[in-house]
Amino acid sequence: MKKMRWAGLMLAVMMVLTLLSGCGSSKETLNIYSWADNFDEEVLKEFEKQFDVKINYDVFANNEDLLAKIKAGGNGYDLIQPSDYMVATMIKQDLLEPLNKDNIPNWTNISDTYKNPSFDPDNKYSLVYMSGVTGIAYNTKYVKEEISSWADLWNPEYKGKVILLDDNREMIGMALKKAGLSNSTTDEAQITAAVDDLKTLLPSVLAFDTDNIKQKMIQEEGWIATVWSGDASVIAQNNPDVAFVIPKEGGTIWSDNYAIPKGSKHKELAEKFINYMLDPEVSAKNYESIGYSDPNTKATPFHTEEYNNDKMINLSEEELSRTEWLGDVGEMLQVYDRFWTELKSGRE
Amino acid sequence: MKKSNLSVLPVILWLCLFLVVPMLIVVGISFMGRDDLGNVVLDFNLESYSRFFDPLYLGIYWDTIVLSVLTTGLCLLLSYPLAYYIANAGPKMQTWGLVLITIPFWINFLIRTYAWVLLLRTQGVVNNVLLDFGLIQEPLQMLYTKGAVLLGMVYTFIPFMVLPLYVALDQMDKKLLEAASDLGASRWKSFWHITLPQTKSGIMTGSVLVYVSTTGMFVVTDILGGSKSSMISNIIQSQFLGARNWPFGSALSVIFVITSLIMIALFNRALTSKHMKTKEGR
Repeated sequence: MKKMRWAGLMLAVMMVLTLLSGCGSSKETLNIYSWADNFDEEVLKEFEKQFDVKINYDVFANNEDLLAKIKAGGNGYDLIQPSDYMVATMIKQDLLEPLNKDNIPNWTNISDTYKNPSFDPDNKYSLVYMSGVTGIAYNTKYVKEEISSWADLWNPEYKGKVILLDDNREMIGMALKKAGLSNSTTDEAQITAAVDDLKTLLPSVLAFDTDNIKQKMIQEEGWIATVWSGDASVIAQNNPDVAFVIPKEGGTIWSDNYAIPKGSKHKELAEKFINYMLDPEVSAKNYESIGYSDPNTKATPFHTEEYNNDKMINLSEEELSRTEWLGDVGEMLQVYDRFWTELKSGRE
Repeated sequence: MKKSNLSVLPVILWLCLFLVVPMLIVVGISFMGRDDLGNVVLDFNLESYSRFFDPLYLGIYWDTIVLSVLTTGLCLLLSYPLAYYIANAGPKMQTWGLVLITIPFWINFLIRTYAWVLLLRTQGVVNNVLLDFGLIQEPLQMLYTKGAVLLGMVYTFIPFMVLPLYVALDQMDKKLLEAASDLGASRWKSFWHITLPQTKSGIMTGSVLVYVSTTGMFVVTDILGGSKSSMISNIIQSQFLGARNWPFGSALSVIFVITSLIMIALFNRALTSKHMKTKEGR
């Protein structure tokens, strides 16, 4: 009987463990809701000291979590970091406060490339924090040909060694770009053609992955993959054989942004924080630490030479000119979603 | 009588608040509509349910059921001899056996799954050993295949099968076996007519635990399967997040719960009737 209880108890503990693994002061507080490890710790501490405030930093795993939480009432957050398309969605749903630029004089430091993006044309509600472009990373040990086009992923030589991002809009958008179309088309015939094209790539695909694509490329599981520029830089630092290119048809550009949700109780402090982060020296320190491209044009002299010379972090004007933001596709999202399910399950 | 009624009140309250009410909300949303921003709107319709009959989603559900049944079957086949051995070993060995089976659960499930990646990948332990011994010339592609998913599932859920089987085997009346052997039954015959029917409850509990857990699992398909095959739970997750279609996700969840209950009922009946037959045959 005793042993039975032990077995029962262990069973209960195991079930709980398995299920779980899926998941003060009087100072003014700035409540930030952002991605994990999105800021340099020291830079945040310095802000707390300079302004005599406390920063409360909560994290979300994806834009949809962020949207759900903000829609449910904001939870008292003062500063959030939605991605480009999510800024557009949040503006449409009237969830963001307009920014008071008088409190953010440093905003003019942002490079023109990242000013007035299509998802928020006058920077009324948001400012770009960091950005990257989806291109092709490939291991020169195995890939001997010059890679210049998305069509190179279809090369039968790389069969079983291609890794794609596990992201519906990114990948269907890639096939659309390959065909010379907009990555955010709402023309169903164009989407169908792009998906049919992607189906012919499926036999070559080793895996779909977004979070661990870096490890898969570093370990040479895959030879060629669709990768964000910032991730490509990390891969190349760990495996010098890996090169990166923005294909000639152009790629999708994305950004995470600063925005203030409706109902923020410390709006002015949030604006002061954005301004502080855009200070050239602070900015250099911060981006050096997180390893993404610095949109702050005045920060260049404060960066290390190594950072300034990293071509995967600092994409050229010419490369950036070939990029396109993902636009909101409205009701067509359901069509994209069904096609994506179809593609991944290998069914009609 | 009254006292015992009162003492179960907290449990009933807990279940109502955190199981019944959320379930009812899910059922409610499954009949509603959505606007083009993904907000759930009050508009009674059956569209989400009719969408399930799209061959695409039916096919994915079929795949999920096949994988879950395979996992359950394999777990049962592998666990029964082990549970049998532990239950019939000396008291010290029994304790050790149980401890060894539960030890892996002290390590986070995700870490154990990633450990399989280290073993199976092209530059992984298994491939390196095989290459070093000259058994293969080229690394084998073991990771990101259906086989890897099945392996990961069976590995994850085997303890869920072993423990209930052990309990059943430990509890069974061993005198019956002695009687059978006294009456000249072969070992195989007494296993088939005595041990197996007597451990029916263990088989049932273990199978339900493994089956239900497998159908609801999507991490293994993502990590070991390279996200190439979708399980129904992958689809449900994507409806709530990326696709922003809560009504469809809710409808899938409701269908999922109902079909799981049906499967369990069918399994229960199959086991019971088999037992009945043996009784009648006596």
